[in-house]
Amino acid sequence: MQSEYIIEMLNIRKEFPGIVANDNITLQLRPGEIHALLGENGAGKSTLMSVLFGLYQPEAGEIRKNGQVVKINNPNDATALHIGMVHQHFKLVDVFTVLDNIILGAEDTKMGFLQRSVARKKVQELSEKYKLYVDLDAKVEDITVGMQQRTEILKMLYRDNEILIFDEPTAVLTPQEIDELMEIMRGFAKEGKSILFITHKLNEIMAVADRCTVLRKGKYIGTVNIKDTNKQELSNMMVGRPVQLQVQKDEAKPGDVILDVKGLTVHSKTSKKNAVHDVSFQVRAGEIVCIAGIDGNGQTELVYGLTGLEKPSAGHITLCGHDISKASIHKRSQTGLSHIPEDRHKHGLVLDDTLENNLVLQSFQEPRFQKFGFIKRDAVRAYAEKIIGQYDVRSGQGPVTITRSMSGGNQQKAIIGREIDRGCPLLIAVQPTRGLDVGAIEYIHAQLVAQRDAGKAVLLVSLELDEVMNVADRILVMYEGEIVGELNPKTTTVQELGLYMSGAKRSGKGGAQA
Amino acid sequence: MKETLLTIYEKDATKKVLASLISILVGLFVGTIVVVVVGLTKDTITGKGIWDGVRLIFAGILSTGRDAAGNLTWGYNAQSLGNMLFRATPLVMTGLSVAVAYKTGLFNIGAPGQYLMGTMASLMIALGIPSETVPAGLIWVLAFLGGCLAGALWGCIPGALKAFLNINEVLACIMTNWLAANLVTWAFDISNFKNVVENTKAGYIYKTTFNGVATPKLGLDKIFPGSQVNGGILIAIVIAIAMYILINKTTLGYQLKACGSNRHAARYAGINDKRNIVLSMAIAGALSAGGAALYWLSGNTEFYWSTYQSLPATGFNGIPVALLAVSNPIGVIFTAIFMAMLDIVGQQLTGYTAYNEYITDVIIAVIVYLSAFSLVIRMMLTGKQKAGAVNANAEPKDDQSDKPQKGGQEA
Repeated sequence: MQSEYIIEMLNIRKEFPGIVANDNITLQLRPGEIHALLGENGAGKSTLMSVLFGLYQPEAGEIRKNGQVVKINNPNDATALHIGMVHQHFKLVDVFTVLDNIILGAEDTKMGFLQRSVARKKVQELSEKYKLYVDLDAKVEDITVGMQQRTEILKMLYRDNEILIFDEPTAVLTPQEIDELMEIMRGFAKEGKSILFITHKLNEIMAVADRCTVLRKGKYIGTVNIKDTNKQELSNMMVGRPVQLQVQKDEAKPGDVILDVKGLTVHSKTSKKNAVHDVSFQVRAGEIVCIAGIDGNGQTELVYGLTGLEKPSAGHITLCGHDISKASIHKRSQTGLSHIPEDRHKHGLVLDDTLENNLVLQSFQEPRFQKFGFIKRDAVRAYAEKIIGQYDVRSGQGPVTITRSMSGGNQQKAIIGREIDRGCPLLIAVQPTRGLDVGAIEYIHAQLVAQRDAGKAVLLVSLELDEVMNVADRILVMYEGEIVGELNPKTTTVQELGLYMSGAKRSGKGGAQA
Repeated sequence: MKETLLTIYEKDATKKVLASLISILVGLFVGTIVVVVVGLTKDTITGKGIWDGVRLIFAGILSTGRDAAGNLTWGYNAQSLGNMLFRATPLVMTGLSVAVAYKTGLFNIGAPGQYLMGTMASLMIALGIPSETVPAGLIWVLAFLGGCLAGALWGCIPGALKAFLNINEVLACIMTNWLAANLVTWAFDISNFKNVVENTKAGYIYKTTFNGVATPKLGLDKIFPGSQVNGGILIAIVIAIAMYILINKTTLGYQLKACGSNRHAARYAGINDKRNIVLSMAIAGALSAGGAALYWLSGNTEFYWSTYQSLPATGFNGIPVALLAVSNPIGVIFTAIFMAMLDIVGQQLTGYTAYNEYITDVIIAVIVYLSAFSLVIRMMLTGKQKAGAVNANAEPKDDQSDKPQKGGQEA
């Protein structure tokens, strides 16, 4: 019997202690279609895919392939059913060549010896057929992220998979690379392969998907034809209420120069090149300047250099008229620098400590929180309660909650509350919305704009193009450690931005000067 | 009533205590098994002998010897209890040393070396300053502080190596331990503090009473007559309380803990992580060395100076003491006293039965292993409720997003 669907997940229910991650979810994939799976963080997308991959056993529901009920007990069963997945974080062995990575786990052998030449031929054919260009003999650690992703895709094809799952595949790509990926996905669909495309980016769904299934808080919300819907409807389905997709803000009124960076250079820890090379720019009071760029082009090191986490090897940083080029982190923060760090678990919070202790991480030495070296617990508690109320930080036990047990969004709100409340003239926010759901993103963007309107200088570092275009008053594009262009979000396009980000275009020397 | 008990059980602290108690009980039961097995294989030990051995393991501290009929007698044994407190004194200090370092994320396995440096400095000061010109009380204070300082400096070495060169403190500590062992042997060898007066006992350093220096008894000898106990245990308890306050109530403790649980976040917040790591090891070193000073300045102990082949067990025993106490300074007082009790029990076994004190070493070894396990036991105790509680208000995303990737295609 021929079924209409190649894979069906019917009425799947998966529980974890204290939470139902998947509650009666149905997902039906047609042969040759691109099917998007849309939902916020924690909506249950990953759990559902884990069930399909045999990593979790559902409490209820069944999986069918071509109408036949199948039991997937482990990932090997999934592979046997020709289900393949490109993970968000690639599963590649860095020191192996591309070819070795592709055949790893599915090696052809003859009397115990690897038959690389057979494999090479097969991979080359696949690579040409689907225009997936890779250098088979390069080591994975030396190739670009885009090529690593193509390697992952080839891995699936090499195993003759016909159901391809892409988990957030575009997060690490430039706009141009995203376009290429979309083209490749369409090619697969034309070949009759079926694609599950997990994402929270509405633009991409509208561009490439045939149908879309939306999950919210572990529940199945619906499956829609992309032809019959639009972005606003999808996002409303995802969040459960009308969402402001556009950030509301007035024209910026830039004032005095708060941050002045001249010729900043930071050495790279991993290579001989400078991670940040001769970067100069200014940020004024009352404006949001956004550093855009693909991950790994020196943004992290630039922020480390500015905040003092790493010593710059050359250049001058002036903050509110004070030279802080050689100042300690403590001194910089006292001079007027707030920092919402890129990695909230590594830098932002002491995860195993309480929320209240985390809220005074920089200010515990101030007289309001200590006397003769003894911490004024009552003052800390009162302050924590104030921040919790003001920034709507939700937690299990209030000020004494261990921050590790809080959700990502609330952890971030705590950090943002702490940094904004310090009232510094300069706020550096690095990927402040990473991994957060639409509601939290909306809130954080509003906070950044409010800070700008209160006359603070805001330096935003972001990898999300939507965020860059929506929030920034000025965009500086970083490519390979240099600022290669300054753009006005009102007059530029995502395509132009992408050209700068990929290094295909750059303004003349000094074009980055404010 | 039941509900009150349940809320007490729900508390994290209760679970920590329970986990440690379970480790201790399992250790004692393993000791019992050893006693039984050894008893069964040795002809010299009768069934009654085995039963005596088992009873001594659990209650040896209250044993008062044997009566005329050859049965064990029980009761308040002032001498045993006093000696227990005396032996607990340096253990409290080395336990604190390990615990404080652990709060800062450092594993201080260098306690034996710091202990030896403290021994050397305190004994040399106590014996070197003539008591004819300087009051003995002042010499004691100088010797104690000098010992602490020597230990602090010795602790700084692995601390600085860790802070500035990122050298693993465990390796550096092991090296400094043996450096200390050789240094101390050499320093005493060329000194004239070796006891040559009593010719039968070559190789020992003079008791400090030789120079009139001894830790004041503070009345404890009245409570525990016939024992070695002195005011040192009270000093150790006061220091433990001070450490508790330092860690939990002061900005310094806050910084140390922040560095310990997340060095990156501490750095991000402008806390000087390097300084704090060195400082933490210095405090740890001072505590270990202080323990040595309290033990050797007591006036009734003799130090065997040729120590280059062995490291003092008191230093290493600080590790199980701290682990059992889950690095809580107040808990350290109790776990140190417990370890000292096992020591006394070992003596009772040797004295009153055909067993020897090495049985208690087996028990201590088992407890050391289990104290590392107490974390696991604690997780078993907390296990289910905690998983639920965390999930209820955490985004499942953080927990689960990685899982689908675990298997992957390689799996």
